[in-house]
Amino acid sequence: MTNATTPRSNTAIDSDSLAGKVAVITGAARGIGYAVAQAYAAHGARVVVSDIDESAAATAAQNLPDATSYRCDVRDEHSIAEVFERTLDQHDKVDVVVANAGIATTAPLLDMSFDTWRTMMSINLDGVFLTLQHGARAMIASQTAGSIITMASVTALAGVPLVGHYAAAKAGVVSLTKTAALELRQAGIRVNAILPGFADTELVSANRDNYSAALGVDFDAVINQAQGGYVTVDDVARLALFLAGDRSRFSTGGAFVVDGGLTASLF
Amino acid sequence: MNDLFGRRAIVSGAARGIGLAIASRLVDGGARVALADINAEGARAAASRLGNGCIGVGCDVRSTAHVQAAVDAAVEAFGGLDVLVNNAGIEIAKPITELTDEEFSRLLDINVTGTFRFTKAVVPAMAASGGGAIVNVASVAGTAGGPLLSAYCASKGAVVRFTESAAIELRQAGIRVNAVCPGIVQTDMADRLAAPIEAIAPIPFDELINLKQGRFGTPDEVAETVAFLASDDARFVNGSHYLIDGGLTANLF
Repeated sequence: MTNATTPRSNTAIDSDSLAGKVAVITGAARGIGYAVAQAYAAHGARVVVSDIDESAAATAAQNLPDATSYRCDVRDEHSIAEVFERTLDQHDKVDVVVANAGIATTAPLLDMSFDTWRTMMSINLDGVFLTLQHGARAMIASQTAGSIITMASVTALAGVPLVGHYAAAKAGVVSLTKTAALELRQAGIRVNAILPGFADTELVSANRDNYSAALGVDFDAVINQAQGGYVTVDDVARLALFLAGDRSRFSTGGAFVVDGGLTASLF
Repeated sequence: MNDLFGRRAIVSGAARGIGLAIASRLVDGGARVALADINAEGARAAASRLGNGCIGVGCDVRSTAHVQAAVDAAVEAFGGLDVLVNNAGIEIAKPITELTDEEFSRLLDINVTGTFRFTKAVVPAMAASGGGAIVNVASVAGTAGGPLLSAYCASKGAVVRFTESAAIELRQAGIRVNAVCPGIVQTDMADRLAAPIEAIAPIPFDELINLKQGRFGTPDEVAETVAFLASDDARFVNGSHYLIDGGLTANLF
């Protein structure tokens, strides 16, 4: 099994090539965002690692060829605008944007504070809107027919106890992706959503015990039965690579699920 | 590109159009392909053009015996089977009030039952080598309805649901099952649809397509997504249907 971080082709042609492309990824210091950054860098992209954790972003960028890092708080429009301004200053264009930054918390709706709800929306939905908007503006300003990828979730497609706020935000992301695809088509910009199942990341593992308690069954067992195991960050990165490049050039406004069959099953 | 290096594949409806583009892309990825088609001569001619050990076999997907014979021929020629692409399909553009039982049943027999027959036939060979990947060519017509296309939409909706069921059922055998949903692609089928759709649409067919999906898709673009789903890059993608429609189905109207 090859790894997405190493170009798999032993021929001269890498049809997943992102050579010369500039890719801005939010939440790229760890987890899925970092795996996407690795895959893009391995295929020749100049990656802009943006993360709220400035030192982790810097470390991530140091581990990638030709990468830069910026601190970015996606709740703050100025912070996002600055990432794209600085990227345009440095690279003169933006080809790929991955609106990936997000959080996950758990709370039953009956007990969820409005503050918890608002925090979720400000990061997981407002943050995607702002990243998409400023990213698309940067593409248009640099006359680049780019690809924007939003990181949604299979929780956008069905109900999930304890994550009503997270799921609602992700459903919002899928909807936003469709409208953006239509509005940006004339500019040659594609917008697609990735909907991973439950992944082997901190975001999921930190809430595992809460999920187990809510479901009354060990969460790992549920995942093994329903998904055939956890999604790996590499699985998501491979799809993000496909959607970033020319291979998917006629796909826009799509919701691309990578969940081992979780949402295909009725029960 | 060698994302399908050494894979042994069978593609139905492969003599022309999207099926031929898929077979060609799988070969480019390093696969050996059995091209199955109701037009046996066309399948053999296409196979010899593609080279790389490809074979062409005549196959009417309405016949369980034909489908089994095509799978047997592929297994015998290649020593096994890793990839199936269920692409063979037909369309009918007619109002419900004019569709006959026979026309409706024939379409379902080809588009849905044909997909079932091939899926069932490849399971033993795929399971024997530890798994495989099946990609069904559904359509945006599997995600929404369309006037004059009731039979076709019903069939493609059925293909999407069959894909999901097969994905779960065959997971233990290591077989992934996914679908692609192309929008309107520049093929003979799209040419045939132009006149009947134009007759009921407020604007010319080409303008309608440009408005809804920006432009026509190409068979190569569909083939690229099929190749992705057939490859290890999609090793955790199962039971999904991936759109290649230029935004067509993202539209509310």
